[in-house]
Amino acid sequence: MLPIAAVLLLGCTHESGYEPNVPGGNAERGRRAIAALECGVCHEIPGVPGAWGHVGPPLVAYRGNVYIAGKQPNRPDVLMRFVRDAPSLAPDTAMPAIAMSETQARDIAAYLYSLE
Amino acid sequence: MPSLIHKPTRKVVLLAAGAFGLVVLGAIGAFVVLLSGAYSTAATTQHFKITHRLLDAGLKFSVRSYANGIEVPDLSRAGMLERGIACYRTHCVQCHGAPGIARHAEGRGMLPIASDLAQSAREWPPEWLYYVTRKGVRMSGMPAWEFRISNEDLWSTIAFLTQLPFMTHRDYVELDARSRDLSCRAPTEVPRERSPEYAKVVFRQYACHSCHRIEGVVGPKSRVGPALVDWSRRKYVAGVLPNNEENLVRFIRDPQAVSPHSLMPKLDVAEVHAREMARYLMALE
Repeated sequence: MLPIAAVLLLGCTHESGYEPNVPGGNAERGRRAIAALECGVCHEIPGVPGAWGHVGPPLVAYRGNVYIAGKQPNRPDVLMRFVRDAPSLAPDTAMPAIAMSETQARDIAAYLYSLE
Repeated sequence: MPSLIHKPTRKVVLLAAGAFGLVVLGAIGAFVVLLSGAYSTAATTQHFKITHRLLDAGLKFSVRSYANGIEVPDLSRAGMLERGIACYRTHCVQCHGAPGIARHAEGRGMLPIASDLAQSAREWPPEWLYYVTRKGVRMSGMPAWEFRISNEDLWSTIAFLTQLPFMTHRDYVELDARSRDLSCRAPTEVPRERSPEYAKVVFRQYACHSCHRIEGVVGPKSRVGPALVDWSRRKYVAGVLPNNEENLVRFIRDPQAVSPHSLMPKLDVAEVHAREMARYLMALE
C-alpha cells in the first residue's frame, strides 16, 4: 500500500519516451572535466564540488530538459557542440566558447545526461 | 493472532468505528463547504500541490493502461509531417503553442494548463500521445479529436509531435510554410460496432447538449433549443421538414439551409455522425 501511495504522490512512473544517450561518453570522466574546466563558476551542477554558480542556469536534472539555452533541442549532438562553442548556436549568449577536446565534450554531455 | 478474526477485540471495534466516523465527518464537512459556497471555482485558484500531483499521476496511469496494445504504424512515411503540422496548426497550437510561438489567449489561463507538447512528446511514447489526442482528457478542456480528425491524420499529428521536441522555431516555421496548402481531414468512418452509447458520445462531442436537453444524455439543464425527447412522435424537423432520418441528417448538417434564420449553427457535423444522431433520435419513443 505504502509504495503504491509513494509512487502515486511522486508521479514517478517509468515512461519510455526519448532517452538522450551519448555513445562512448564516460560520465565519471565528464564530471572530472567539468570540475577541471570550472563550469561550476557559473552553473550549479549536482555532484560537482563547489559548482554553485548563479551566472548561468542551474544544470539540475538536465536529462529531462527540453531545450538547450532555450534555442536548440536538447540532444546529445547539439549539447556536445554547445558546451564547446555556445556562441555558435546562441550568438548573443554570455556563455563563452571553452577550449576542450571532443572527448571532453562527449564526456561532459554524458555526465549532464546522467543528472535526472 | 487468529483470535482477532474470530472475535474482534474491543480495541479493533473502537478503531473501526473511529475510522468510519472520520469518513462520515469528512463527507459531511465536504458537503458543508460545498453548500456554503466557500469552495472557489475560479480559474485563478490553483489546486493544492498534492492535488495537482495526484491528477498528473492519475492521468499518466490511466493513459498507460488504456493505450496498452495500440499498434503504432510507421510514422516516418512521406508526407506525414506536413499533414501533421496542418492539423497542429488548425487544432492544437491555439492551446499548446509551438517552439517560439505563443498559445492564443484561451490557452494561457486554463486550469489545468495545457501541456507544452515538446515536453510531452519527449517523455511519452507515441501510443500514449495518440490515445490522449484521440480520446481527450476529462475535466481538462482537451477534446476527443477522433471526432474532428480522421484516424490517418491523427497518426500524422503524432508523427509530427514526435519530431516537435527536436524542432527549433525556424524548423517549425519552415515546415508550416511548406505545408500551408494542406488541411486537416475530418473523419469519414464510425466504429463498426455502433450503439446508442456511441451516439450519446457523438452528441456530446458536437456540443449538442449545450443547447438541447437530450433524452438519455447527461448534461446541463439547457433550454436554448427544444428538448429532444419522444422524438419519433414529432411530425416536423424545425417546423419545416417532415420528420424522418434523411431530413434530420440534412437539418443537423446545415440548419440554416433548411430553416433560414435558425439560431442553430452549422457545426460541421460529419455525415456519418449526423446519421448516428438521427438514428438515435428516431429511436426515442
